[in-house]
Amino acid sequence: MGAAADPRTVRAKSGGATVVRYLEVVKRYGGFTALAGVTLEVHAGEVVCLIGPSGSGKSTLLRCTNGLETIDGGEIEFEGERLARDERTLRTMRQRMGMVFQSFELFPHLTAQQNVAEGPRTVQRVGNAEADRRATAMLAKVGLADKAASYPSALSGGQQQRVAIARALAMEPDVMLFDEPTSALDPETIGEVLSVMKALADEGMTMVVVTHEMSFARRVGDWVAVFDAGRLVEQGPPDQIFDAPRTERTRDFLGHLGWAG
Amino acid sequence: MTLDWSVVWEHREALAAGTATTFLLTIATMAIAVPGGIAVALLRMYGAVPLRALAAGYVELFRNLPLILVVYWAFYVVPILTGVGLSALATGLAALALNVTAYNAETFRAGINSIRRGQVEAALALGMSRGQALRRIVVPQALRRILPVLASTWVSLFKDTSLVSVIAVTELAYVSMQVRAQTFRVLEMLTAMAALYWLLGYPQAKLVDWMQRRFRVTE
Repeated sequence: MGAAADPRTVRAKSGGATVVRYLEVVKRYGGFTALAGVTLEVHAGEVVCLIGPSGSGKSTLLRCTNGLETIDGGEIEFEGERLARDERTLRTMRQRMGMVFQSFELFPHLTAQQNVAEGPRTVQRVGNAEADRRATAMLAKVGLADKAASYPSALSGGQQQRVAIARALAMEPDVMLFDEPTSALDPETIGEVLSVMKALADEGMTMVVVTHEMSFARRVGDWVAVFDAGRLVEQGPPDQIFDAPRTERTRDFLGHLGWAG
Repeated sequence: MTLDWSVVWEHREALAAGTATTFLLTIATMAIAVPGGIAVALLRMYGAVPLRALAAGYVELFRNLPLILVVYWAFYVVPILTGVGLSALATGLAALALNVTAYNAETFRAGINSIRRGQVEAALALGMSRGQALRRIVVPQALRRILPVLASTWVSLFKDTSLVSVIAVTELAYVSMQVRAQTFRVLEMLTAMAALYWLLGYPQAKLVDWMQRRFRVTE
């Protein structure tokens, strides 16, 4: 019996167009190989979770996706086009990819509203009225309409991260990249950020999520990729990864986290 | 020893005019040296290699020359070398601006370097160009952060304008010295001059402290 017949290994949303395709991606820092040839596809409407130990390359892959890091080998395609090397074309691609950082990186000199309106205003040049309209709508979407006039320093970590999500969404991206969005948060505010992300996933947003939240990966992820030492050691639907991992390395990693498997 | 303070009151108009010139010099110098400092700092950090070297050379030259020497040089040597003679006021302003621009450039460079990399990455991730990231995100934050340093530069500059009295710019120090020379009231005039500088400088320093609290950005 072929693997495809096992319901636990079926890729539910693989019918959607390929949004991001990583082909044998290599990234080196001096003598250190951060990515040693990673191949992975992200389809429209999918939530792809990248998991694995610290330093295994998952954040590096995410940062290569929008060109914050340049790759040393292989290829990354975004919506069928090869990721541009020249700044100008890269900028137009970045506008269609929202990114959320571990440390939020809200602009501290701007209010929540201004943070969210900044991209549409400065980059897309939609005009002040439209930028403000989008900012108001996106803050409401993440449940922070009442914090529009607050500066980041007056917000909790969870609130800051929700503003950061709103800031990325205001650009109306085709894919959202999350780089350990809850790793810098107090335990009590992790839930509010995860539920905003879950709501986004339910709306059909394409998402690539680097995370240590295994329960999120299992519950919300459509596809899980396990990294170790710069390689993708296993990928599959959450049921496979968490219930029937096929590699020793996946079992080890999850075992260390207390997953019985 | 008899003191005759009436000499100060008698020359109030000249002293007032000198004070006005001192303020004018301070404001005009900063009006040149703030944008100039930003430009030199950006050139030094992001310019093409020859421009970087030029900016670094400029900063190191003027930071390490005594201001009074620059003032003399601008007044006596530059006209001989270039054939262009400016008024004493314009020459004094040029010397002050060259000096303070060099200091401000280093202040701005430190301020820009203090903004963490993630801020630029967040701006780039939104699709901003590097120039937009600098203008919209990095420089506004850096400016707020270095406001205290700029403020103390301002207060120093207010006093340092007295150095251009050596080329007969009729600012407060020059006027005071003139009155002293004409009246021989040395103690009175020097005391009056000290009082004027202090009374004018102190509120400026306090105003700057207030601005610093008002515009502080917390993270």
